[in-house]
Amino acid sequence: MLINKYLGIAPKADIVLIKRLCERLKGGRFLHVNSTRAGGGVAEILHRMIPLLQDLGIDARWEVIEGDKRFFDITKKIHNALQGFDIHLTEQMWNYYLEVNRQNASRLDLDAEVIFIHDPQPAPLIEFRKNTEDFWVWRCHIDLSNPKKEVCDYLMKFYKKYDAAVFSVSNFTRGEKSLEFIIPPSIDPLSDKNIELSEEEIEKLLNPFDLPLDRPIILQVSRFDRFKDPTGVIKAYRMVKRYNDCVLVLAGSPATDDPESEEVLKEVQEQAADDPDIYILMLPPYSDRVINALQRVATVVLQKSIKEGFGLTVSEAMWKGKPVIGGAVGGIPLQIIHRVTGFLVHTIEGAAFRIRQLLNNPELIERMGEAGREHVRENFLITRQIRDYLCIWYYRREGMKSLIEV
Amino acid sequence: MFEFKNCASIIKSTGKKARNLQELRDYLVEISEESIYHHVYEYFLKGHRLLFTNDFAQWVGDNLEESILAERLSSIDPYIYPDINQLRNTLIETIDAHMKEFPVPREALPGEEFYFNESVTVVYPVGIRVRNIAEFLIAMEHIDRGCIYYHFYEARTRLGSGIDDFSFWIEQTLGKVQLAERIRAIDPFMHDIEGIRLHILELVREEVSRDMESISDVD
Repeated sequence: MLINKYLGIAPKADIVLIKRLCERLKGGRFLHVNSTRAGGGVAEILHRMIPLLQDLGIDARWEVIEGDKRFFDITKKIHNALQGFDIHLTEQMWNYYLEVNRQNASRLDLDAEVIFIHDPQPAPLIEFRKNTEDFWVWRCHIDLSNPKKEVCDYLMKFYKKYDAAVFSVSNFTRGEKSLEFIIPPSIDPLSDKNIELSEEEIEKLLNPFDLPLDRPIILQVSRFDRFKDPTGVIKAYRMVKRYNDCVLVLAGSPATDDPESEEVLKEVQEQAADDPDIYILMLPPYSDRVINALQRVATVVLQKSIKEGFGLTVSEAMWKGKPVIGGAVGGIPLQIIHRVTGFLVHTIEGAAFRIRQLLNNPELIERMGEAGREHVRENFLITRQIRDYLCIWYYRREGMKSLIEV
Repeated sequence: MFEFKNCASIIKSTGKKARNLQELRDYLVEISEESIYHHVYEYFLKGHRLLFTNDFAQWVGDNLEESILAERLSSIDPYIYPDINQLRNTLIETIDAHMKEFPVPREALPGEEFYFNESVTVVYPVGIRVRNIAEFLIAMEHIDRGCIYYHFYEARTRLGSGIDDFSFWIEQTLGKVQLAERIRAIDPFMHDIEGIRLHILELVREEVSRDMESISDVD
């Protein structure tokens, strides 16, 4: 059984509940629809979750909507507007967005007992729902806390037709329907990004970068955009450097959909230019094992975001037993228990102070690292997310009672 | 026979959020009993940090930095109330008294508002059954934290009178009244779940040792 691969890694209780729920829901049809089969956290989770559920007797399917460049340019605009960018969509754009969804609705088999529609791209599929007894859930993975009103209002007409919605964090909820669940995303401990690596493999993976592995390494893995504050990280590192020996590694990829990305990268490179202890690693797509290795050799990991969706890199680092210093935004405060698994900071000075605190207290690094790994094990592994999705399904089957015995 | 159960909690939004103390107080008047239950009783399921004893106190302390009120809210014992509405009244009265003393409420930073949630609780057996105190001891070492929450904390609202499932079974089925009383004397607010586990293990180990001693005496 595929689920048994997680025994000894994920909490046994979650595996027991997944199995019990799947016995009850055996043969039930569970459909997921998103907009890409490759890349991004949603696809990563679905790749693992669908076969695992099928293996447990669930008729689980995953459909992907199709669209041309024009469609995805429009949905990118919608995505950015929902995250707060000042973007206007024309009537023609909205019509095309709806038309492509109409074409997909006629092509796809949308017949299932529970249908999870992921993110805004396929959201209008609800307009083409055939069976009102199905349970349609909109699964929103993005930060909706401060959306562009005009775009959000337009999408709300689809949103209101869903039976339920799932958000990652409380402050992304809309308060516009009775069933809004909060289910944080998760990491897969068996994926390339998180699987255990041998010392030899770590060395081999990091060899091309020539990092001084015998010195303390401060690491931030993120795209080069302003919301991740890479220049703030460099400033914090410089403050630390006055007191402690360390190197800084900024690893990420350019944000191709962000017009400011190049400018940010240039600023970062300029700031780092004269310092041989700052390593800027531009990683190609699918560098998951390299990121895994970097997180494993880091001494302290930063995620000093000033705006964040969920920030799963925090859980990834904590899973490798590293203390994380993060900005108190998006899903980061859910992952970092301040002073227990790491530190939440609001300023560059705060980040610098906490880095120094950790570098000067190796036992604190170890204690926080252990607490962080356990916190992730209990709350942010894929098994917990699968368990929660199944619970929602069973809750619906059992007449939506607030206490259910399985 | 004692069957270990676990519980999973799925969070549901109520759509209501408070930005300051006045709003928190006003929503507390109208919010569902389920929401108060979630933010107070289920706090212990979240791996708390011993600084506070419920979500309201934590938000007031961490996000509004009203440490005086956070202390007062934290010292409310939810298990002494026969129903949630009496707990609700105490929470409101405590906030009212504080606002009278310190009338200018602080605003939470954007994104740090208090979100009123509820939960769906799914209870399930984990497949571990024990018949005597020695088996109980072994199981206690290995069960998940959620099991301890369900049998030690959640049981108090089910059984009432500060009684948990462990001590109830130990007293009723095994007849070990003193051990049951010692377990009941563990203060649920002063430990996290792992701390509760350690205390119970210590008490049960002592009991098992005593049992072993008395068997040698008979021999």
